[in-house]
Amino acid sequence: MAAPGLDQATAALGVGIGWRAEIDLSVERLGVDFVEVVAENVCTDHLPDSLRELRSRGVPVLPHGVSLSLGSAEPPEPARLDRLAACAQALDAPLVSEHIAFVRAGGLEAGHLLPVPRTREALAVVVANVRAAQDALPVPLAVENVAAVLGWPDDELTDGQFLAELVGRTGVRLLLDVANLYTNQVNLGLDPVAALDELPLEAVGYVHVAGGVRRDGVWHDTHAHPVPPAVFDLLAAVCERVRVPGVLLERDDAYPSDAALAAELAAIRRVVQNAGAQNAGAQNAGAQNAGAPP
Amino acid sequence: MTGPPAELSGARRRLVRAQIELLTALVAAGPVPAGFDPVRVAVQADALQAKRRDVVARLHPDLVEAAGAEFRSRFDAYARTHPRPAAGARADAAAFARTLPVAVTTGFDGRRRRSSRWRNRHR
Repeated sequence: MAAPGLDQATAALGVGIGWRAEIDLSVERLGVDFVEVVAENVCTDHLPDSLRELRSRGVPVLPHGVSLSLGSAEPPEPARLDRLAACAQALDAPLVSEHIAFVRAGGLEAGHLLPVPRTREALAVVVANVRAAQDALPVPLAVENVAAVLGWPDDELTDGQFLAELVGRTGVRLLLDVANLYTNQVNLGLDPVAALDELPLEAVGYVHVAGGVRRDGVWHDTHAHPVPPAVFDLLAAVCERVRVPGVLLERDDAYPSDAALAAELAAIRRVVQNAGAQNAGAQNAGAQNAGAPP
Repeated sequence: MTGPPAELSGARRRLVRAQIELLTALVAAGPVPAGFDPVRVAVQADALQAKRRDVVARLHPDLVEAAGAEFRSRFDAYARTHPRPAAGARADAAAFARTLPVAVTTGFDGRRRRSSRWRNRHR
């Protein structure tokens, strides 16, 4: 059954994995419910055979942009939006995703997702940028929270407040990355559960999980290590609060065996099912209590 | 409410200045902007540099092989004077390859041919 506020196209994505050329055959064998592909790596004229195979099986393929720079001071570049829109159309995708971050400014390229100042003024800019992207895209947009190494000195809002305002003003969906919440917890001391309290979880289109490694007290969100228990715990905390349409494992390097990937996907599925059952139980209890006098 | 257009364009102007200042500190050896933790800025700058180097190394293990033990120091020296090209990591790798002395790339299989192929693919 569709969660409230979500249309049928994205109501049930299920459990997926990030498609990468290096593991294309593994992804086909894993039998996942959906995949995500880095939009910048897809040439819409020449879709990789593996993605065509997945599409022919009816597996949704979601373009995931990394260079739109929705957090830039300038509006998103029309050429980049056109490319993302063409990618969504070529893949017949139900939605596309990007990040709330900036990757360039004044002709300099960061090559990475940098945090936006969480001020009311910057929020107005991001709201306008997201609206411009929504207008140019043929399908709904989901925006992802990023992991940060540094904070802006003039931050006025928390990440959760900033994203909640953004969702409220634009109707954009969230791609909630729980590994990024964990990264910010370890590296910046930000409370991930407080973030879950602030975020409009009913707007979550899907969730990212990924592994990393702790070196010298710093958490590196490498996408090249197993998913740690703390990230599974955060996934459970999300699923206890809301029925999420999909959860996707991001693995970008040091690819393990098919069996190891399958085990990690199965672990995700267990967390979603167990937490979801608790969520349903709590909601039923809530519904019964609602009819009873106080 | 986003506010009137003039307000938004003022917000964009102030934001771009702030982002350029921070990015210059992170990737072009600029001064740390006021109010930022210099240690955090240094950590982020190192992370960006490492990511840039790793992406090139992954795209072109042949370049890592060609530069041998000096890959890291040579790439870091290159990166200090060459900002990351807007065209992306393949252009970065091609530009880095061009800075390697011929002696280092002896045995590097067809650098010139590969470079032109990257350009063709990403034109």
